[in-house]
Amino acid sequence: MAENNIYKPIKYKVDKIVEETSNIKTFFISSEKDFEFDTGQFVEVTLDGIGEAPYTPSSSPYIKNKMELTIMNAGYVTGKMHQLKGGETIGIRGPFGKGYPIKKFYGTEILILGGGVGLAPLRCLILTLLEEEDKFKKINICFGAKTPADFIYKDWFSELEKHKKVRLLRSVDVPDKDWDGTVGVVTVLLDEIKANYQEINSIVCGPPIMMKFGAKKLLELGVNEKNIYLSMETNMSCGLGKCGHCDMDGLYVCKDGPVFTFDEVKHTTEMKEFFRLFKDK
Amino acid sequence: MRKYSVSLKQWVKILNSISAEIDIFAPIRKDEYLDYEQLTEDNIMSISYNKAIPTTPLKSFFFPIKENVVREDEDKQRVILGAPACDLSALNILDKIFLDEQFLDTYYKDKRDNTIIIGSDCYEISENCHCTSYNIDPYPKENCDISLSLIDYKVTLQVFSKKGEKFIKRFSQELKEINKLPPEIQKKREETIEKLAIQNKDLPNIEETRKGVEKEGTIIWKKYAEDCVSCGACALVCPTCHCFLLIDKENFEKIKNWDSCQYPSFEKVAGDEDPLAHIYDRLKNRYLCKYVHKPDMYDEIACTGCGRCIEACIGKINKNELIAEVCE
Ligand SMILES: Cc1cc2nc3c(=O)[nH]c(=O)nc-3n(C[C@H](O)[C@H](O)[C@H](O)COP(=O)(O)OP(=O)(O)OC[C@H]3O[C@@H](n4cnc5c(N)ncnc54)[C@H](O)[C@@H]3O)c2cc1C
Ligand code: SF4
Ligand code: SF4
Ligand code: FES
Repeated sequence: MAENNIYKPIKYKVDKIVEETSNIKTFFISSEKDFEFDTGQFVEVTLDGIGEAPYTPSSSPYIKNKMELTIMNAGYVTGKMHQLKGGETIGIRGPFGKGYPIKKFYGTEILILGGGVGLAPLRCLILTLLEEEDKFKKINICFGAKTPADFIYKDWFSELEKHKKVRLLRSVDVPDKDWDGTVGVVTVLLDEIKANYQEINSIVCGPPIMMKFGAKKLLELGVNEKNIYLSMETNMSCGLGKCGHCDMDGLYVCKDGPVFTFDEVKHTTEMKEFFRLFKDK
Repeated sequence: MRKYSVSLKQWVKILNSISAEIDIFAPIRKDEYLDYEQLTEDNIMSISYNKAIPTTPLKSFFFPIKENVVREDEDKQRVILGAPACDLSALNILDKIFLDEQFLDTYYKDKRDNTIIIGSDCYEISENCHCTSYNIDPYPKENCDISLSLIDYKVTLQVFSKKGEKFIKRFSQELKEINKLPPEIQKKREETIEKLAIQNKDLPNIEETRKGVEKEGTIIWKKYAEDCVSCGACALVCPTCHCFLLIDKENFEKIKNWDSCQYPSFEKVAGDEDPLAHIYDRLKNRYLCKYVHKPDMYDEIACTGCGRCIEACIGKINKNELIAEVCE
């Protein structure tokens, strides 16, 4: 048997677990071997004897022997993940899929729109962009959460604001008494940004419904279909373009994605059904 | 391509001696079913030559129903005798998927490498065979190492690959090399093609099928879905269906298990979103996959016209009637 077994996970140790919100935790993991990945690529994480699920690392690809995964408790496997205490061994396969085309963003203004646990892959992206901050005109970041307590990476925001190219805006659906920022769904933040939308590169990641409203708003603002990057979430098993589970109207999200431009996915049933809702209005 | 001739009697002797060293699987009829069995002295005389079609699709030799893909195992050399042309052509898609250079499936590759495939002409077709409607001739042209034809107690072998050449060396002294395929073969082939043309005269061709499947909204899918019980048999018997699920076992072992888009929750994600929630969504997905998506992804339709799904369907859904209806 050849040594490169695409189904066999590499062992990682869970070093530390941080509780981000009531249902999201960040897992700090490490391995003896370096692991190379591009920002936006994902990994398949195995819990021994329990199950496997896909996640996008939330840490920088510049760090190769350690990785962070931010995971929402959303069902069976993620529920078991949340029961870990630290010290366990987990398995990683990957990296899989195509990430963000960072080089294409050089010299442009960037707009990042994120909600909920969607901030995880965006953190990886932002950390990557900041490694070469001077290559970008401006990095606008719009983050949304249900309530202020539902923001993940709460300690990170003040750090982000120190970067001179970064403009960070945050909104919540439901404020608490200390909240002095914007109230409303994350797309309302776009009204606060004055940018040359015709030339901007925009990256959206969040719950499926936010992704669609985000894309719709960006299109209305005049952003080119080819400059709107979306992360699609589907069921997955292999991550290798073989098992068929991630099929999205003839695209394998694990291989052709998970990052797609709006142009690449506008023909899919999911997008067509969403945009049909607004057709007659 | 070298060609050889040998009497059936001599051929049986050859098989007998090889089967003592290498596992040989060949189609054998049991009651109404024809299926691959491992050859032994006792069943060698009952091999069904040049008849459509073994119940088990060829894929199962390379992509088993269940396989531990973390534990290492040694693959033995083996011979599969009597693979029909439709199943051979299905290997085009399976090879593109499992032998993809970026993510090579070594379990599949080792089995492909260690298997000698002896394809065979089809002279007797079954009632649902429709390979020629999808541009596949009913005799081996690709993806086999040797092809075989038996007419009037005379076996004709044609070598297709280096692997086949090497294999035949084991017993070539017992064979007579010939320059041309005997004319009876050509005649039989033409007869088979003619029978298939008559049997499938009303079946839409590849282009028409694609158009029909693409344009159909929900009405016809809903109609046929009433008879579908989501058993997945159509996918399991299909020589091109490749879907699987990795099931986790202790010690980070994984079982690669056949799966099907016809099962509920095949595409379900956390939060209960499910693009294939309804039976009619899943039914439609099956035909989109075969006649639209696979051609877009791999330049090849994912239906060889083997007819197995028609035979296997518990709800008596006849794929060809369905296709004819969406093309109306
Ligand atoms: C590319 C990509 C990146 C992602 N990145 C992140 C991320 O960074 N953070 C994050 O929180 N989420 C991320 N997700 C979502 C995450 O993968 C899902 O929330 C997770 O798979 C849900 O699994 P669950 O078992 O907890 O949910 P469930 O609702 O229990 O299961 C969801 C589906 O997974 C399958 N499944 C369940 N159990 C098993 C099992 N034992 N074996 C095999 N299949 C099973 C089932 O088909 C089920 O329909 C990402 C998803 C994708 C596609
Ligand atoms: S028809 Fe369904 S089971 Fe068969 S390959 Fe396509 S998606 Fe997989
Ligand atoms: S769809 Fe049916 S007829 Fe076509 S290859 Fe599969 S089992 Fe055979
Ligand atoms: S997850 Fe298996 S094909 Fe995409």
